Amino acid sequence: MVATFSWEWMKRNAGTLWPLLVACVIILGFQAVNPTFLKYEGLVTLVYAMSYFLIAACGLTFVIMMGSFDFSVPSVLKLAALFCVMYIEKLGFWAIPFALLVSTGLGLLNGVLLAYLNVPSFMATLGVSIVVEGIGLYLSKGFLHIMYNERFRALATTFIFGLPSIFYWAMGIWALCTFVALCTPFGRRTYAIGGNLTAARLSGINVERQRVYVFALSGFLAGLSGILYMAQLGGGSMLIGSDMSIPLFASVVAGGTALSGGMGGPHRTLLGVIIITWIQSGMLMLALGRDIQMVIFGLIAVGVAIATMDRKRIRVVK
Amino acid sequence: MRRNDTPVLEVRNVSKTFDTVVRALDEVSIAVYRGEIVGVVGENGAGKSTLMKILVGVYAPDRGILLLGGKEVPFPRNPKEAAQRGISIVYQERGVIPHLRVYQFLFLGHEEQYRGPWGLQSERMKREARDILDEFHVVCDVESFMYELPLATQKMVEIARAVLGVRLESRGKDVAPVIILDEPTAPLTLEERRELFQNILRMKETCSFIFVSHIIPEVMEFVDRVYVLRDGKLVAHYDLAQDAVTEEDLFRAIVGRESLAYTFEARKKTVSSEVILRVEGLTKRGCYYDVSFELCRGECLGLFGPAGSGKSEVLRTIAGILGFDGGKLVIKGQEAFSGEPPHVRLERGVGYCSGEAGKELFFHWSIAKNISIVNLKKVLGKFFPVIRFGVERSIAEGVMGKLEIKAPGVHAECYSLSGGNKQKVSVGKWLERSPDILLLEDPTIGIDVGAREDIYEVLLEMKQKGISFILVSDDPKEYALLCDRVLVMRGGRVQRTVSAEELQEVAVG
Repeated sequence: MVATFSWEWMKRNAGTLWPLLVACVIILGFQAVNPTFLKYEGLVTLVYAMSYFLIAACGLTFVIMMGSFDFSVPSVLKLAALFCVMYIEKLGFWAIPFALLVSTGLGLLNGVLLAYLNVPSFMATLGVSIVVEGIGLYLSKGFLHIMYNERFRALATTFIFGLPSIFYWAMGIWALCTFVALCTPFGRRTYAIGGNLTAARLSGINVERQRVYVFALSGFLAGLSGILYMAQLGGGSMLIGSDMSIPLFASVVAGGTALSGGMGGPHRTLLGVIIITWIQSGMLMLALGRDIQMVIFGLIAVGVAIATMDRKRIRVVK
Repeated sequence: MRRNDTPVLEVRNVSKTFDTVVRALDEVSIAVYRGEIVGVVGENGAGKSTLMKILVGVYAPDRGILLLGGKEVPFPRNPKEAAQRGISIVYQERGVIPHLRVYQFLFLGHEEQYRGPWGLQSERMKREARDILDEFHVVCDVESFMYELPLATQKMVEIARAVLGVRLESRGKDVAPVIILDEPTAPLTLEERRELFQNILRMKETCSFIFVSHIIPEVMEFVDRVYVLRDGKLVAHYDLAQDAVTEEDLFRAIVGRESLAYTFEARKKTVSSEVILRVEGLTKRGCYYDVSFELCRGECLGLFGPAGSGKSEVLRTIAGILGFDGGKLVIKGQEAFSGEPPHVRLERGVGYCSGEAGKELFFHWSIAKNISIVNLKKVLGKFFPVIRFGVERSIAEGVMGKLEIKAPGVHAECYSLSGGNKQKVSVGKWLERSPDILLLEDPTIGIDVGAREDIYEVLLEMKQKGISFILVSDDPKEYALLCDRVLVMRGGRVQRTVSAEELQEVAVG
C-alpha cells in the first residue's frame, strides 16, 4: 500500500497525525522560548522525564483498551520504589523481584475485585490505591529515603550512545507491549473486551481471566516503572509523583486510546507520553508557577478528550 | 374507483445521490390515495429509507416534485414542516421513551400548546390523550409508563402520536395525514403483529399509511398496493386487489433472481444416529420446565413458540448465558454444569450465533478480525503463538467469497456494512469455526431476502458437513427450510414434536 499524501489520506489518519502535529508544535514552541530545550542537556532531561512514565503508561493503556480504569498505577509505582530503596541494603538485588511481585500482586487484586467480585474498576482501583498509599506511609514513616547503592542506580543511569539506560528500558518495553497488543491473542482479547463485552463473552473469551491478567500486567509495569524511577532519582518518599494520575490518563488518551475502550494501543501511547511529559518539563524549564501548570494541565486533559473523540461512531456520552 | 381521485400525496421522479457516487434513488414516483395502505418493499439498500427520509424532510432530494392533494409544494425541510403538511413517520426502533407516561409521550414536543397559568395543563392533556387513544381503539391507561405497555400497544401509541403530531402542527387546516410506518413489526411476535394490523386497518378511514417492510407475507396480507424498489429504482408496482400476485412474484421483484427459500429441494437428510446433545428434564424456574430432547449429529432442531414460551431461554441455557435449576445437560457424552460461562461451552463444542449484530460483532474491527476472534487457534503460528496476518486475511477472504459479503475488502470496518452484510460476517465466523453444535437465535432477523438466502445456503452446507443446529426464530418459514424436527413450546413447556412440513401447515393454517 502506497500512502499518497492527500487531504483524504490525512483525514483518514487524523487520529495518528494530530498527536504528531501537537508534539511538533510543543517542541518547536518550547525551543523558541527556551533554546536549551533541544540541546543535549535539555534532551537528557526530557528523556529522563518520559522514560519511567512511558513504562507505567503502557500498562495503563492495556487497562484502558479493555474499557476499565486503573487509578492505582501511581501508588503502586511509589510503593515498589519505596520497597527497593528500603530493602536494597538488606536483600540486595532480591529487592527487585520482591517489589515486582508485590506490585503484580496488587494488580492481581484489582483484577480479582473487578472480575470476580464485580466491583467497578473505577472504585476498586481507587480503593486499592488509597490502601497502598497508607501502607507506603506506614513503611516510610513519611521520611525521604536516600539510596546509596550505585550498582542499582546504574540500572537507569548508565549512558549508552549518549542516552541514559532507562530510555532503552522504556523503548524496549514499549516495543514489547506494542507487539503484544497488535500481534498476539492476548492483545486481541483485550481489545475485544473493551470493544464489545457481550460479543467477547459469546466469542468464547474467558473475560474474567483476561481482566485479571491485564490488571496484573498493569501492576507489574507500574512496579517496574517505580523501580527504575527510583534508580534514576536515587531516593524517594511516598510524595514522589503524587499527581501522576491525571497526566498518565491524559497521555494515554492523547495518544488515541479512547476511554471507552476497544481502540488505540500502546504504540500510540508513545506520542501521548511525549506530548504530556514534555509539556510538563517545558513548563518547569520556563519556571512557570504551580498554579499556571495546573490550569494548563486541566485544559490539556479536556482538550485531549475533545480532539480524540471519534464523533461519527460514538452516539451516547454519559 | 379510487384511481380517479387525486392522490393525497404524490412524488414524481425523485432522485437522490450521495457523495456524487452512490445513486440512492433514481427517478422514483409513488402516489398515496386517501384511506389506503401502500407498501414500499425492497432489500436493504434499495432506497426505501432514503425515500421516506425525503418525505419527512431529513434529506433534500436532488430532483423531483412533491404534490399534496394535487398541488405542487416544495419538499419539507425538516420533520416539523412535514408534520404541518400531514406527513409523519414512525421509526423502526428507539421511538419510545420508556420512562414517560403515555400522555406525556403523546404530547412530547407539543407542550407549548398546553401551557397554562400554573405549568402544563395535565388534565387537559390526559383528556385529549384518552380521546385519541379511544379513537384508534388503543386500550391503555394514559397514566401508565410507556415501558409498562406491551410492545404492540407501544407501537400503537407511537402511531397515534404521529397522527396527533400532524393534527397539532397543521392547526385546524384540513390536511389528510399520511403516516409512514418503517418496519413497524420488527420487534413483535406473530400475535402482536396481528393485533397491530387489526388496529391499523381500523385507522384507515382517517389516514393513509405508507408501510415499509421486507416481510413478504405481511405485505401481501395488509397492503392495498405495493411499490417494489431495487437499487434505487422503482421496478414493480402491483395493485393487490386487482392483479393476481403471488408471494413468489413479489419475491422475484424484490431480489431480482430465483428464490431458494421457496424450494425445499435444498434440504437433504443429513441426520446421523449419533446423539451429540442430550437434555433431560431441564428446568429454570420462571422460564421453562422439564424440557427433554436429544440432538443428533447433522440434525437441525427447532424450538418454536410465541415470545415468552421459554424457547430463547432454553437456547441461552445451552449456550452458557443462563444457568439452570434442575435437570441434566449432556454434551458429547459429558455432563455440563449450570453456571459454566460461554467459553467453557465453546470448548465443549457449542457455539451461539445471534441475529443481533450488537451481540456478535466488534463494530470498530475489520471483517478479518471479527472472523478470526473465534478462530484464533487457526490464525496462530505453530511454534510461536503470534497472529499470522496473512492467514487471517486469507481466511477472511474465503468467508467473504462464500457468503458473498459486499464490502471494500477484508479490512473494511464492520460498522460501515449494511445489516445483511453484518449478519453474514457473524455467520461467517461460525462457519469458519465449525463447532459441533451451533445455536441460532433469530439468525436472519431484520435482514433482507437476498442476504437470508446466502445465509441459509451456508447453514445448509454446514449441516451437510455434520454440524448440528438448534434454531429459535420468529419466522415459521425458517423452521420449514432448516429444521428436521421442531419442538413446539408454550408457557415454558414442550407441547409436542412435529416435523418441519407439519409446522409449515400449522403456521400457515
